[in-house]
Amino acid sequence: MKRRRKARVNSEAPDDQSAAEFSFSLTRVAVSQICLSVGYTSTDTSSTLDTLTLITTKFLQSIAELAASFSNSANRTEANLFDIVNGLQDTALATSDCFPGGSTLHNTESRCLIKSAVLRNLSDFVASAFEIPFAKPLPRLEISGSYGGDSTRVPRSPEMKSIPAWLPPFPDSSLYLERYTKERSDHLWENSDSVIGRGTLVESSGVESSRGRSSGRLPLRRASVRFKVERDWSSGGGGSCKSVTRLERWRDDNDGEFEVKKKMGEEYIYCADIDAGVWNM
Amino acid sequence: MNHGQQSGEAKHEDDAALTEFLASLMDYTPTIPDDLVEHYLAKSGFQCPDVRLIRLVAVATQKFVADVASDALQHCKARPAPVVKDKKQQKDKRLVLTMEDLSKALREYGVNVKHPEYFADSPSTGMDPATREE
Repeated sequence: MKRRRKARVNSEAPDDQSAAEFSFSLTRVAVSQICLSVGYTSTDTSSTLDTLTLITTKFLQSIAELAASFSNSANRTEANLFDIVNGLQDTALATSDCFPGGSTLHNTESRCLIKSAVLRNLSDFVASAFEIPFAKPLPRLEISGSYGGDSTRVPRSPEMKSIPAWLPPFPDSSLYLERYTKERSDHLWENSDSVIGRGTLVESSGVESSRGRSSGRLPLRRASVRFKVERDWSSGGGGSCKSVTRLERWRDDNDGEFEVKKKMGEEYIYCADIDAGVWNM
Repeated sequence: MNHGQQSGEAKHEDDAALTEFLASLMDYTPTIPDDLVEHYLAKSGFQCPDVRLIRLVAVATQKFVADVASDALQHCKARPAPVVKDKKQQKDKRLVLTMEDLSKALREYGVNVKHPEYFADSPSTGMDPATREE
């Protein structure tokens, strides 16, 4: 009994593989139609037709790459007729056919494309050849968010002109605006407990807090903040100021050997205590 | 200047010819569908909203395939016909696209498609035993 060897499953993603296979099979149908129109009735093996189909896809992609590179060289993202004709000329250069009229493309005076032999040949082909419509109708795909083939995309508003057209459109504003305001009101950093010393600062130094503010916006008229230096004379000369400004420090500089420093905070307390001979934590 | 006027007129004619050609593209339906062409163009980074340019690329590809196929057909017809026994068979000659004709036709377009004539187990398979290096 013969055992059939199963084909190894490709590790490629199924969507990519199926899309590539689908487009390849469509191209194969078109190529076979063209061969029929030329006069062929059949092919000896399927690999012959597959080879011709593969070369067709490579040809398409090579024209596209050339045209895209021409347009990018001219600081454009969208290709125009000049880019395509230049790409066709370069492709014709790869074949052994000569193409008269290629130099006139780059002539700054005339700048006329129809003088190019490649375009002339195409125009003759369109005029003489019979139309061969595709064998079966293609299913229309609903493409969401991607540019490929979507000619009915909504144009951007004037304030979004700086955004390139080939990027996918923004999602619906209702999806993100509401969420944003919710987060703002619930998780305002200034109101959270992660602010160090906020409670003691408000209570001890008598700061007029702006508790009445709403939605995180600072009011135009804000209460002024003042800091006081309190000396705890009971503990033996150690200062217990929570926060010190330079001005306040200079005023209290009667008996202590305070050094002028730019930093604020507990370091000054330590210094004062060391000078006084007492270490207060 | 006379020369300038003439060149201007010629330019107008050329522009008119180009416009007419682009307009005729909308009437002509290429064999390769627009969506399929757009898929391959987008795959290569080609961006263009104009349908006429997409049709131009489709027509160029169709012409390329038609040229290759017709060259292969010429090679097929140029081959001497085999000995025919019946007259009916002679009328009913089927034109078959073979790899041999296709590779000959594609060689002129700079594409090398060559199948090996046979597959061997090792480089020295089939060689004369005396010439084999052991």
